[in-house]
Amino acid sequence: MSYKTNPIDRTYFPDEPAQDFTVIGSVVRRSDALGHVTGRTAFFEDISPPDLLHLKTHRSARHHARILDVDLTAALAVPGVVRVLTHADIPNNVFTPLKLIGVEPDDEPVLAEGKVRYLGEPICAVVAETEAAAREAAARVRVEYEDLPAVFDVEEALAEGAPIVNEYHGNNYFTYEGHHCRRIRFGDVEAAFAAADHVFQWRYQSAPIEHAPTETTGCIVVPQPDGRLRIHSDTQACFFTLDNTALILGTPFNKLRIVGGTVGGGFGGKVDIAVEPVACVAATLTGQPVKYVYSRYEEMQVSSPRAAERIYIKDAVMADGRVTGRRVTLYVDAGAYSRHSPYGTTKAAAHLPGPYSIPNVWADCHCVFTNRTPSSAMRGFGVTIADFALESQMDRIARALGMDPLRLRLLNAYRDGDLKAHRKVAEGTALVEVIQKAARMVGHELPEEYLRMSSMDRRER
Amino acid sequence: MITAVRTPESLAAAVGHAAAGGRLMAGGTVVMAQVNSGSLGYTEIVSLRRAGLGGITLDGPLARVGATTTLTEVEQSPDLAFLRGAMRGLASPTIRNQATVGGNLFVPQPYGDLAVCLLALDATVEVTGPDGSREVPVGVVLANGVAPGEVVTAVRLAVPAPGTWFHHKAMRRRLNSAAIVAVAAVVDTAGGVVTSARIALGGVAPRPVRAVSAESVLIGRPLESEVLERAGRAARADISPSDDSYASAWYRARVLPVHLRRAFLRQP
Amino acid sequence: MASQVVNLRVNERSREFLAAPGTSLLSSLRDTLGLTAAKRGCAQGGCGTCTVLLDGRAVMSCLVAVQTVDGASVRTLEGVARDGALDEVQSAFLEGFATQCGFCTPGMIMAAEALLDRNPDPTRDEVVEAISGNVCRCTGYGPIVDAILDAAARRAKA
Repeated sequence: MSYKTNPIDRTYFPDEPAQDFTVIGSVVRRSDALGHVTGRTAFFEDISPPDLLHLKTHRSARHHARILDVDLTAALAVPGVVRVLTHADIPNNVFTPLKLIGVEPDDEPVLAEGKVRYLGEPICAVVAETEAAAREAAARVRVEYEDLPAVFDVEEALAEGAPIVNEYHGNNYFTYEGHHCRRIRFGDVEAAFAAADHVFQWRYQSAPIEHAPTETTGCIVVPQPDGRLRIHSDTQACFFTLDNTALILGTPFNKLRIVGGTVGGGFGGKVDIAVEPVACVAATLTGQPVKYVYSRYEEMQVSSPRAAERIYIKDAVMADGRVTGRRVTLYVDAGAYSRHSPYGTTKAAAHLPGPYSIPNVWADCHCVFTNRTPSSAMRGFGVTIADFALESQMDRIARALGMDPLRLRLLNAYRDGDLKAHRKVAEGTALVEVIQKAARMVGHELPEEYLRMSSMDRRER
Repeated sequence: MITAVRTPESLAAAVGHAAAGGRLMAGGTVVMAQVNSGSLGYTEIVSLRRAGLGGITLDGPLARVGATTTLTEVEQSPDLAFLRGAMRGLASPTIRNQATVGGNLFVPQPYGDLAVCLLALDATVEVTGPDGSREVPVGVVLANGVAPGEVVTAVRLAVPAPGTWFHHKAMRRRLNSAAIVAVAAVVDTAGGVVTSARIALGGVAPRPVRAVSAESVLIGRPLESEVLERAGRAARADISPSDDSYASAWYRARVLPVHLRRAFLRQP
Repeated sequence: MASQVVNLRVNERSREFLAAPGTSLLSSLRDTLGLTAAKRGCAQGGCGTCTVLLDGRAVMSCLVAVQTVDGASVRTLEGVARDGALDEVQSAFLEGFATQCGFCTPGMIMAAEALLDRNPDPTRDEVVEAISGNVCRCTGYGPIVDAILDAAARRAKA
């Protein structure tokens, strides 16, 4: 069998400097494939250090509650239990993963402190000689709750009088440089609506999506003779994990070493520093290797999904199909804590109004806290759901106008040299050519004037 | 936590361990998953792997299938070839190498496709307990289970005459997924009309159920679209579907007539 | 009951070891025998990453209580290559870009070995069915199915 991919079609870009395409268009063997097919690739869970202890967490049974009491008596009585950790054992218990790039405030406890904000939030961590003992003891922890009203909807969370989910923020939204949301202001959308032949407004909504990697989130922490901790982890971000863990432990970065980079499926779901800090504390306090790995149930229930989003798009459209104004209100459901959602919301804003040149754009993108499982990164987060909404919107406009949806897109597609809503000049756009080629490949006919369009139209003028 | 795993080499020993409070395990596809998640609720497991309960024997049209016969063995048995389609739609080949005929009787819906077939076949279940052996209609086992200490040793069924067996299963995927709706039936016709019908449904109730309302619509009528549509609508009286991650209760009830029709018209 | 001695023939070597009650074949292979090619993905039989051959048949090793299969023969991915030379399935996976993260690969290869042992010339549908219990969340099924068909062709030529 031969493995060939299509060569690159350079007809549209004859003036681009000649490239040496030795990789694109050829088959390159993965550097790790030999290990994969022989079973020798070392995933984090493939080591069994002597005296390994197992860590399991007791998780919140409530969506939003004050913790009145945590009773560890029954858990400690389980044979094989070595220690039970609470928030008091974590040196710097409250963190936020993006503090490394200046995001504030710290808003999430490693182990719950005084309150739980989502179902499944870790409250305490049992360390035991066997996995079965750790699991059984974790189930025997008794927590007394005082229920608080919970909010599960982004717009309800922003309404007057909604329960405050995360006191570290003081309100149910992430604050961007003093603003309650990420904003885009370009031209005058209200004037565009007033002058438009048609105004279309529709609402889009997505559910959270779990990455469901075949290898669950986990780590094995092995204390070293020199006092350092060696962390075998399936994190997708070794240094991110190392730095955040060091900050939580209050230890210099060079006291930790991550052995990683081999991930059994990540897709953005393994960047949250979810297991390493508490496993490091356990290893330090016991002086023994500690394994903390999610069960499949935990991976599905508590690991962060892609955020649910709700998006309203209102467009000013002329009879010939030109979109002259676009107003977007976008809500990202961050769940109870920031994680990577403030960044995902910024990415969503950066993606608006889609790959189209629209002269008037207004957008408010809200990163909202609710009592749902914290959401975080996943493959193009911020962009993927926005694209679903934007392209659905384009199709619906085309249908409403009785217009070919590809022609509507070609008419509005951004061209090289256009000023985007963020005051950046578009370059290397190629959307026009991609649509033309796709149309040809599926036998979708386009009139001559659409075939003559070019992403370099504006340059020629 | 599990404190003992027994692998008795005789039925009598298995009954003894089960009567003493051990959890019976055949293929392990349900029990071991619970062991692994710490949710078994028993401390002792009694494996039937070596108890000598496997194998398929045929006596005329009557088949006796041992309780620990794997679903792969059923699938590959020339004597039970009519069940091949149902087996290939049940889980993956890997799971079918482990899961057993007896175990399938105790699998919660919407799993347990073979149990749905056995209900349509009006199979008899052989059970042995501390007080001896008894034979029970499969519907009774599906409804009430067996007594503590009792072991299912075999099922007996009549192989349907050619052309009288119908099976169809609607899934989220083409392979290896639980039933949205499963239909299994033995229907005899004479002179172009139905003379007897036993229809069992899966995926639409807490356990496999007989679609008696649909059966009475079919009797005396031909297996034609219009009749089948009516039978399918009538079958809604026989089900009590639930929402799960495969489908909503509403959806199951909505599409039941479609799949009942496809089963009898042998449409994909 | 304390741990029990279990004997298995693993990749044509006799192995004797202790297992605590309720231990799975997967756990014995990985944690006791150091054979870590088979993976723990779900511990429920839902993902296929733990697939090995038990007396010649593909099984989810997480669902096998190891005490109940005392005396059985087991083949894992570690036992597929001969004298360091990859077999046809491994070569086809390697050259056909049938691996991404690699976590499903050991189970996929063992499911493929089980198929080709019984059916040396499978159709595409039969290959799809054979790996229908194995999840590849990188969603690289196309190249995996191609590689298994390729392996069958390589074996036919050999």
